[in-house]
Amino acid sequence: MTSNYTVMTVTLLVWLVIFIYLIRLEGKVKKLEEEK
Amino acid sequence: MPGKSSSWAAKVGAMLAKDIRQEYRTRYAAGAILLFGVTTVTVVSFTMGRLDLPVEAQAAVLWIIIFFAAMSGLAQSFIREEETKTAVALRLYADPNPVYVGKLIYNILILALLVAVITPLYIIMTDMIVSGIGLFCLILFLGIIGLAGATTLIAAIISKANIRGALFAVLSFPLLLPLLIGAIGGTAKTLSENEDYWAAASSEIQLLISYAVVVITAGILLFEFVWEE
Amino acid sequence: MIWNVILFVLMGWVIVMAFITPAPQQVIGEASRIFYFHVPQAWVAVVGFVVSMVASINYLRRGRLTDDDRARVAAELGFVFCLLATVSGSIFAKVTWNSYWNWDPRETSILFLLLIYGAYFALRSALTGDEKRARLAAVYSIFAFITVPFLVFVVPRVLPSLHPSDSVVDSAGQFSMSGTTAMIFFPALVAFSLLFFRLYILGVRISILKRRRIEESQL
Repeated sequence: MTSNYTVMTVTLLVWLVIFIYLIRLEGKVKKLEEEK
Repeated sequence: MPGKSSSWAAKVGAMLAKDIRQEYRTRYAAGAILLFGVTTVTVVSFTMGRLDLPVEAQAAVLWIIIFFAAMSGLAQSFIREEETKTAVALRLYADPNPVYVGKLIYNILILALLVAVITPLYIIMTDMIVSGIGLFCLILFLGIIGLAGATTLIAAIISKANIRGALFAVLSFPLLLPLLIGAIGGTAKTLSENEDYWAAASSEIQLLISYAVVVITAGILLFEFVWEE
Repeated sequence: MIWNVILFVLMGWVIVMAFITPAPQQVIGEASRIFYFHVPQAWVAVVGFVVSMVASINYLRRGRLTDDDRARVAAELGFVFCLLATVSGSIFAKVTWNSYWNWDPRETSILFLLLIYGAYFALRSALTGDEKRARLAAVYSIFAFITVPFLVFVVPRVLPSLHPSDSVVDSAGQFSMSGTTAMIFFPALVAFSLLFFRLYILGVRISILKRRRIEESQL
């Protein structure tokens, strides 16, 4: 059972990292778009 | 090329005649394909000939040889046009439609030549027993039409590329998978001892016919986008 | 902005539930949880192909390079998810039937899709000139798409004679899922689709920016 929790936590962390990267990227794109 | 007022069939015929004449002079594409086919059949039957392979394997090897032989030569008619710049003149004077159909028939003829040469060779050299000759020939016939149908458009596409390499094969293979699976399956059925092979292969025959129809229709519709500059 | 929140929460919820609840398939046990991730990935791989093909048709009709950008971005995303789906499917297969590759209908279809994606990018990289590349890639994308239905119908007919069908995926495919499984599976499908579209829209916006920058530097 505990191995399940480990995998789950790892997956959640991976997802968090991916998501934060996404948000940052979108922020950059928005900024560039507003410059034009 | 005939003028604008001549019939569509005449234009197709002219395109075809030009390609055949050119091929007859240089014999490049047909030569490459036949050489590949004969060499491969010889090598394969040398190693495989004595083994008692299941019919599916025998059928698969035949079609693999046909496929690779096609890859080695079918793009020629378009590549040659681009390289010798005759394509420019062709675009000026001809409609895309007759050009496509002409090239398509040309490719079918070359494949027919290939199959006519290597199939008997293959049957003899591997001691293959063909129970249903009629069906066997039909599947070969439908298969090469589908093969030419799919590859003619792709040949036109890659003739515009700068670095071609294995591009023709890379682009063709995924699209030909359904055709190859159908042709191999159908051919395998004609080799087995089962009496009822026409019924057994009915789904494969349907597949081959519909594939050829769809692919050629799509080719005709899409060709002008490839051909225009 | 709200979509970002929805996406984050939904995917997070799916991940948590996928591991807390009982495993969807009792025979295989824990490893069957891959199902929640593998099937949505395959689904997105197909969606990516469809979106790419539609953008290709639009390019041929209208001639706007943004459509080509859309086709490319959708294809890139679809390819990544297709790769993920093939790998996760292979792991699933190893655990279930003890071999990484079996040539059963679904495995073959996803491989087929992978090959088409690969061919599409090989073609794009071999062509120069924006319009030429866009045009020819679009034609190939459409042409490839029409052969897909054939594979879907051919493969199940031919392959069963060589290999037993994959009972697990079949039973799941026929929606004989338990309530808990369905409760996680369908949101997972939505979550992955949302992820795809989020990334897709972002990718298209980036392409538009790049294109604008190129145009401005040429003035």
